[in-house]
Amino acid sequence: MDATGTQDELYQKATDEFGAALARLAHGYEADPDRRRDLLQEIHLGLWRSFENFQGRCSLRTWVYRVAHNVAASHVIRRNRKNLPTFLTLEESELQSGEDSVEVLADRQKSLGRLLALIQRLEPVDRQIMLAYLEGMDAESIAEIAGLSAANVWTKIHRIKNVLAHQFHAGVPDGR
Amino acid sequence: MQEFPMADDYLPNDLKTLWTGLSANPVNISPDQLRKEAEKLRKGLRRRSIVGGGAAWIVIAAWTLFFFGFHDALQRIGSVLTVVGTLYMAVQLRVSPGRTMPDLGETDCMRFYRNELERQRDFHRGTWFWSRLAAFVPGPTIWIVGFARAYPKIAPFIWLELAAFLILGALAVPANLRLARTYQRRIDALDAAQKAAE
Repeated sequence: MDATGTQDELYQKATDEFGAALARLAHGYEADPDRRRDLLQEIHLGLWRSFENFQGRCSLRTWVYRVAHNVAASHVIRRNRKNLPTFLTLEESELQSGEDSVEVLADRQKSLGRLLALIQRLEPVDRQIMLAYLEGMDAESIAEIAGLSAANVWTKIHRIKNVLAHQFHAGVPDGR
Repeated sequence: MQEFPMADDYLPNDLKTLWTGLSANPVNISPDQLRKEAEKLRKGLRRRSIVGGGAAWIVIAAWTLFFFGFHDALQRIGSVLTVVGTLYMAVQLRVSPGRTMPDLGETDCMRFYRNELERQRDFHRGTWFWSRLAAFVPGPTIWIVGFARAYPKIAPFIWLELAAFLILGALAVPANLRLARTYQRRIDALDAAQKAAE
C-alpha cells in the first residue's frame, strides 16, 4: 500500500468512526456557525495531513482527538489574539456554579445551549477533558490525549461532575 | 465549598445522552478535496512570502535611492539604518525555520496548548518583538529628522509626522507587553493547576 493510500484510508476510517464526534467537538470550541464550519474543515484538513506521519504508536481514537483538540485550541488562541477572553478553569467554574440557577433537564434545547455555554467558557485544556468525558471516554484515554496523569484527570472529572450537578438537575430528557 | 449530592449514576449519563444527541452536522470532505485545499494553503503561504520579500526589496531600493539622492548626513545615516534593518528582517524571515508545527497527533494537548501560549507570548515580548522595533524605528526616525533639517520650510509638518510615528511606536510597546503578560498569566495558571493536581 503506498503512503497516500494509507493516509487517505486512515482519514476515511477516522471520519467514518469519529465524524459526528468531531462535529460536536467543533461546537464546544466555536459558537459562531460560520466560524464553526471553518474550524471543522480545518480539523479535517489537519487530520488528513497528520495521517502522513501516523505510525500507530497510539490508538486511532487518541490520534484523532489529539489532532482535533490541538487544531481547535490553536483556533481559540488565534481567534482571540487581540482580545483575550477570560476562560475559567474547572475549579473556578465549580466555585461559580453555586451562584447559577439550576437547570432541569427537561427542555433539551435549552439544556444543550446551557451546556455549550458552560463548555465554551472553559480554559481549552479543561474543555478538552469535559468534551472527552461527555463523549464517554474513560480517565485513562482522556489522560493519554490530554497529556495529564490519570489521577489528575480523575480529579478533573470529579470537578466536572460537580459543576454539572450544580448546573443541571437530574431529569429525564424526552426521547431518551 | 458546599457539597452537592453527586448524581453519579444518572445525571452524567443524562448529560452524555444530551451531548451525544447534539445534532451537529458532520462534514464529508473527500481526500482529493483536502489535497486541493492543502495545495491552496501552500500556494497562499508562498504568495505571502513573495509579497513580503517584494515589499522588503522595495523598501531597500527606495532607501538606497534616498542615500544617493539626499546629501544631508542624517538622511544618509537614516537610509543606511533602514536598509540594514530591513535586510536584517528579510534575512531573519528567510533563515528562521518559521513556525515549526509540531506533529499534531504526537503532541498531547496540554503540551501543545502551552507551546502555543509561549509562542504568542514571545511574539509580543521576546527578541523577535524588540528586533522588529529596533529594525524599523531608528532608521526612519533619523531620516525624518534629517529631512526636516534639510527642508526647514516644511519642517513643522515633518515634526508632526515624526511625532505621530513615534507615538504609535511608543504605544505599541506597552500594548504588546500587556498581551505578553496575559499569555504568561495563562501559562502560570496552567502550571499551577498541573502542580496542584500532582
